[in-house]
Amino acid sequence: MQKGRCVMGMNLKFFDALKFLVRKPHTVRVPYEKKEPAKRYRGIHVNDWEKCIGCGNCAKICTCQAIEMVEIPTLTPKMGATNLRPQVDYGRCSFCGQCVDVCPTGSLKLSTEYEIISSDINDFKFIPNLNRDSGPGTGWESDIESSLLDFKRVEMPERDPKERKKDFDWVLKGFSEEEAVFEAVRCLGCALCVQGCPTGMYIPEYINAIFNKDYEKSVEWMFINNPLPEVCGTICTHRCEDACVYHNRGQAVQIRYLKGFAAGKVDDYEKVVGISKKKADKKVALIGAGPASLSCAFYLRREGVDAVIYEAQKVAGGMLKLGIPRYRLPDSILSKEIDFIKKQGVEIKFGIRVGVDVTFEQLLKMYDAVFIGTGYHVGSRMGIPGDEGEGVFDAATLLRDVNLGKEVKIGKKVLVIGGGDVAMDATRTALRLGAEEVILSYRRRYVDMPASDEEKHEAEAEGVKFMTQTLPVEIVRDKNGRITKVKYVETEMVHEEGARRPKPVPKMDNVMEWEIDTVIMAIGQKPDWSFLPDEWKNKIKFDRRMNHIIVNDDMMTDVEGVFAGGDIVNPRADAISAIADGRKAALGIIKYLEIRK
Amino acid sequence: MGKIREFDFEYFIGPAHPGVTGNMSYHIWAEGDTILKIEPNLGYLHRGFEKLVEQRHWIKNFPLILRICVPEPDVNEVLLAMAVEELNEIDVPERAQYIRIIVLELARLAAYLFYFGGVAGAIGLYTIPQWTIGDRDYILDLFEELTGGRVYHIYQTIGGVRRDTPEGFEERVLKVLDYLEERLKDYDKLFFEHPLFLKRTKGIGIVDKDTALRFSVTGPNLRAAGVNYDVRKQEPYLIYDRFDFDVPDIYRDGDVYSRAMQRRLEFAESIRIIRQAIDKMPGGAVNIKIRNPFEYRVRAGSTYVKLESSKGEYGFYVVSDGGVLPYRLHVRGPSFSHGLQLVRHIAEGTNIADISMILFSLDVCPPDAER
Amino acid sequence: MTVEETIKKDIETTFGELVRVEIERKHRVRAYTPRNMVLPMLAYLKQRGFHQFTLLTCVDWIKDGKFELVYNLYSLNYNVHVLISTKINRDKATMPTAINVYEMAFDYEREIHEMFGVEFEGHPRLDEFLLEDWKGIPPMRKDFDTRKYVEEKYGMKDLTKELFTRKEQPYRGPGSNG
Ligand SMILES: Cc1cc2nc3c(=O)[nH]c(=O)nc-3n(C[C@H](O)[C@H](O)[C@H](O)COP(=O)(O)OP(=O)(O)OC[C@H]3O[C@@H](n4cnc5c(N)ncnc54)[C@H](O)[C@@H]3O)c2cc1C
Ligand code: SF4
Ligand code: SF4
Repeated sequence: MQKGRCVMGMNLKFFDALKFLVRKPHTVRVPYEKKEPAKRYRGIHVNDWEKCIGCGNCAKICTCQAIEMVEIPTLTPKMGATNLRPQVDYGRCSFCGQCVDVCPTGSLKLSTEYEIISSDINDFKFIPNLNRDSGPGTGWESDIESSLLDFKRVEMPERDPKERKKDFDWVLKGFSEEEAVFEAVRCLGCALCVQGCPTGMYIPEYINAIFNKDYEKSVEWMFINNPLPEVCGTICTHRCEDACVYHNRGQAVQIRYLKGFAAGKVDDYEKVVGISKKKADKKVALIGAGPASLSCAFYLRREGVDAVIYEAQKVAGGMLKLGIPRYRLPDSILSKEIDFIKKQGVEIKFGIRVGVDVTFEQLLKMYDAVFIGTGYHVGSRMGIPGDEGEGVFDAATLLRDVNLGKEVKIGKKVLVIGGGDVAMDATRTALRLGAEEVILSYRRRYVDMPASDEEKHEAEAEGVKFMTQTLPVEIVRDKNGRITKVKYVETEMVHEEGARRPKPVPKMDNVMEWEIDTVIMAIGQKPDWSFLPDEWKNKIKFDRRMNHIIVNDDMMTDVEGVFAGGDIVNPRADAISAIADGRKAALGIIKYLEIRK
Repeated sequence: MGKIREFDFEYFIGPAHPGVTGNMSYHIWAEGDTILKIEPNLGYLHRGFEKLVEQRHWIKNFPLILRICVPEPDVNEVLLAMAVEELNEIDVPERAQYIRIIVLELARLAAYLFYFGGVAGAIGLYTIPQWTIGDRDYILDLFEELTGGRVYHIYQTIGGVRRDTPEGFEERVLKVLDYLEERLKDYDKLFFEHPLFLKRTKGIGIVDKDTALRFSVTGPNLRAAGVNYDVRKQEPYLIYDRFDFDVPDIYRDGDVYSRAMQRRLEFAESIRIIRQAIDKMPGGAVNIKIRNPFEYRVRAGSTYVKLESSKGEYGFYVVSDGGVLPYRLHVRGPSFSHGLQLVRHIAEGTNIADISMILFSLDVCPPDAER
Repeated sequence: MTVEETIKKDIETTFGELVRVEIERKHRVRAYTPRNMVLPMLAYLKQRGFHQFTLLTCVDWIKDGKFELVYNLYSLNYNVHVLISTKINRDKATMPTAINVYEMAFDYEREIHEMFGVEFEGHPRLDEFLLEDWKGIPPMRKDFDTRKYVEEKYGMKDLTKELFTRKEQPYRGPGSNG
C-alpha cells in the first residue's frame, strides 16, 4: 500500500469483487446450523455424582456466586463426602471454569453444550449431572496438572534408612516451620476430613492456625477432643488423611505431622489449656493406663471428677509405651503429654493389677463408676509344629520387653510372620536388635497387607525382605532345641463365590525352607479378661468371640456404672479410636453421675 | 468556548449509540451545525469493579476484572497477573510469557478490526464493518480454541496461563494471520484508499502534538499526533524486548485519517510480533502452582503496572495489605484521558456530522473510563 | 547515575527533609509528601517535563483514619513515573485542587470526591460524576458494605457466607463437640 494513493472511481475492481461470490461466509447460516464449538469450549456444567463428594469448593470459588450446594436426600454419602451437590444458576454463571479447576475430585467439568432455550426462568437453574456431557476430552476439564490445587504434599524428612536402623532414635526429622506452613496452606477448609477422625478433631481450624503460625491457638483447637495431640501427630493412623479431598486424586494434606509439628512447638500446654479448678465430688476408677483411660481421665478431671488409674505395669501409656517402638514414638513426646494429663490431677497407681492386687468388685464399691481400658495384650501363636520353646516370640511380648528395657536375645536370621503394623514394628525392631537378615512372611498379596503403606515402605527401605503369599508350616529345630529352618509353602489367591476378598489357599505339594534362627509371630493380639470374675463375664455383654465388649452410645456396658473403651471395644484398634472412646466415656460418665444425683 | 445562547440547539447523543463502543452520552450545544460545547455524561456503564475486586480473593478476580472492556478484555487479566507477579516476585515460565504475547497481540488485532469497522461505519461505509467484524470472528475462533471462551477469555492466572495451547494451534494461528494479511489488501482498496474516506477524514478532528501531550493522551492517538511513544518499547513488559517490531511513525497530523492509518500500520506490526512469538516459543510449563486459591496472599505493597492496549496506556494501581483480598485496585483506562477532557476541548467548532466519527477515531471506550 | 536517581536527588534537593523519595523499581519513583507540599511538587514536576497526568487515585486506610492520595505523573523524556503519595485525614477530608497545575485532574478529582468524599478545595464542579442520586456514604470507602447494600436493595442472598465463616470457639472442655 502506498501512502495517500487516491484512486478515483471504484476502488474494489469488478474482478476483485467476483471472488466473494464463491466464498463461504463465516457467519450464521440460514437455515440454522449449529456452530461446532471448539474442543475446549466452556459451556454448561457436567458433574459426575459418583465422583463428586459435595465438598463445596466449587461454590466457594465462584466469583458470581452462581453455585449453591443443595442437599440430595436420596444420596448416601461415603466416608469423606456429603450428599450436597452443586446447583448452578445460569443467570449468574460467567462460564469461567474456575469451579472446574478447583474441584478436587475432577468430577466437575464444563461441556461444550451451550444451548439452554426456555421461556421458564427456572430452567436456567439446575443441579448438573452427566446428562449434558459432550464426551471425554471435550469441554473444559481439569487434570492434576492444570488444577488450581497442588496434589503433591511436602514429604516428611526422615533419617537415612542405613543409619536409622542401627539405633532406636526417632526416624523422623520433623518439619521445619517453612515446610509446615507451606504444607498447611494446602488445606481448603472443607472439613470433610473431620468425618474420618474418630474423635472429630477440628482439623481445618488447627491447620489454619498453623498457617498463621499461631501454634497456641492450634493446640487449643486440638485439646477440645484430644489430650494427646503430639502423640497422635506422630503415630496416628490418620484416617482423616484418607477422607481428605486431596486423597481422591493425589496426596492428602499431611494432617498428622502438621498436628505433631504444632503441638511440638508448644512446650507448656498449661499456658494454653490451663488446669481445671472445677470440683464435682465424685470418684471414678480406670483400669489400665492406655490412651483410652488417659483420655477419659483427662476429660473427667476437666469437669472436676476425681480419676484414679490402676495400671499393672510400672509405666503409663499402654501400648503407646509398651507396643510402639521408640524409634517411632520417642519417650520425650509421650512423657510430655502424660505429664500434662497427670498435672490435671489424674492419679495413676502403678504396679497394681486389677484381679490380682485389687479385685474388680472392690473397685466398684470404692468408686462411683469404673472405666475398663485394658487393651489387647496377649500375643497369639500359630500353633504349628515347633512353635513352643526357645527362639519363638510373639510380637506383643517381644516389643513390650524391648520397650521396658529388658534384655532380649534374638538371632541373626529372623522370620517375622504377619502383615500388619505390628509385624512391621517387629521386623524393624529385630533389625535394631542386631538381626542381619529379616524376612517377612505374609500369606496374602502385598496389596492385601493391612499395614499402612508408609510402614511398608519404611521397612523395605531398611532392608526387610518381603515374602508375600507364603505360609510357614513347620519350625525345624536341631537336637539342642535350637531353630535351624522354617519350612513353608506358597499360597494361591482363590476367589470364592460370594466372598468379600480372595482367600489364600496353600499349595501343600511344594514345601520349601528358609534358614532361620528366630521366629517372631505378629499375627494378632487378644484381650485378657482374667481380671473379671466369672459372674461378671456373664453380666457384661461381649461379642460372639469374646473379643470386644458391647457398649452403648455413652460407652456404658450392660452394667450400670461400668464403662469401657479402647481396643477392647472398637475393632479399629488404634490410639485415636481409644482416645475418642475415652472422651466419649468421660462425657457418658458425667451424664450418668448427674442422672444418679 | 462560545457563549451559549437561548436559541442554540441542545442535543444528546447516546447513551445508546454515541459512536463509541459502549453506553455513554454526550450533551451537545450547537449553533447550527457547529458545536459550541460538549459535555460527557458518564455513569451508564459504571459497574463498580474496583469495589467488587476488594471483596474477592486474588484468583477470583480474573473472571471479574476482564469484563471491564469488551473489545480487548485480555489486557485487564494480564495486568492483574503482572501486578501480583511483581509484588510476589514470581518468575513466570517462558512459554507462558510467549503465549501471553500471542494472546495480547491477537486481542489487539481483534480490537483494531472492531475499530476499523467503527470508523467506517461512522463515515457511512457499511460494508467495512461487515467485513471486519466477520474477520474478527476468525480470531475469536482462535481464542475459543485456546482459552475456551470467545470474547471473555479468562485465560490468565497468577504465574502464567491456565492451559497449554491445544495441538496444532500454532499452525492455525499462522493460517489466520496469512488470511488477515491477504485481507488487509482488500481493506486498503475498499477503505483506506477509498476517496470518500480520504475526503471525510483528512484534517478533521485534529489532536495535535501539544494538545495530545497536554491531555495525557496515549497510545495510537498520541502516535498519530507525531509522538513516538509505545509502552512496549518504552517500558517493555512481559518479554516485548525480545521482539523485532516497529512503531510506525508516518502519519503525524493527528487527524482522523492519521489515527486510522496509524492503526492500520500497527495492525501489520502486531502480525509480525505474533509470527515471531510462534517461531520462538519454547516448550515447558505454562503456569505455576499457587497451592491454595483461597489462601493465596500477596505481599503488602503497591505497584503501578501498565501496558500498551489498543486504546493506549492501560494501567493498574494495585495495593495489597498482605491479605487474601486486594486492598485497592485502580484501573487507569486510556479513555479516561481521551474521552473526557480532550473531547471537551477539541469538540468546540467541529461540525455535528463529524462528532461520531471523531469519537470513534479516538477509540473512546466508556467501559474503561467508568469501570 | 540512573535517571531515577537523578530525579530522586533533584526532588530531595528542592524539597529537603519534607519529602521522602524512594526508587521502587526501574521507571518508578515514589515521593511521600506532606499534604501542603503536593501542589508545589506537582508544579515543580510539571515544569521538569512531567507532562502526563497518568492518574489520581485514593486508598482508604480506614484503620489509620487516613486517605492516601496518589498522584501519578509521567515524563516521556525520563521515561519515569513519579507517584506522589500523601496522607490526609479521613474525616472531613480536604485537599486543594490540582486542576490549576494539571487540568487532567478535573475528572479524577470529581470521581474521588464522589467515591471517597474528599473535598477538593477550589474545584469548580464537584457534582455527580458516575453515580446518580446517591444518598449513602461514598461507596468506595472501606466502611461501605456492598453485600449488605445488595441484600437490601436487590433482595439477593449471600450464598457463600457459611462457606467462608469459620466457627471460631474457645476451648470449653468436654461437651463442646459431641
Ligand atoms: C506394636 C504396636 C504398634 C502400634 N502402632 C500404632 C500406631 O502406630 N498408631 C496407632 O494409632 N495405634 C497403634 N497401635 C495400637 C494402639 O497402641 C492401641 O490401639 C491403643 O494403645 C489402645 O489403647 P487402650 O487404651 O485401649 O489399651 P492399651 O494401650 O493396650 O492399654 C491398656 C493398659 O492396661 C493395662 N492393663 C491391662 N490389664 C490390666 C489389669 N488387669 N489391671 C491393670 N492394668 C491392666 C496394660 O498394662 C496397659 O497399660 C499399636 C499397637 C501395637 C501393639
Ligand atoms: S468441588 Fe467438585 S467434588 Fe466438590 S462439591 Fe464441587 S463438584 Fe463436587
Ligand atoms: S463457571 Fe465460573 S461463574 Fe460459572 S459456576 Fe463455575 S465458577 Fe461460577
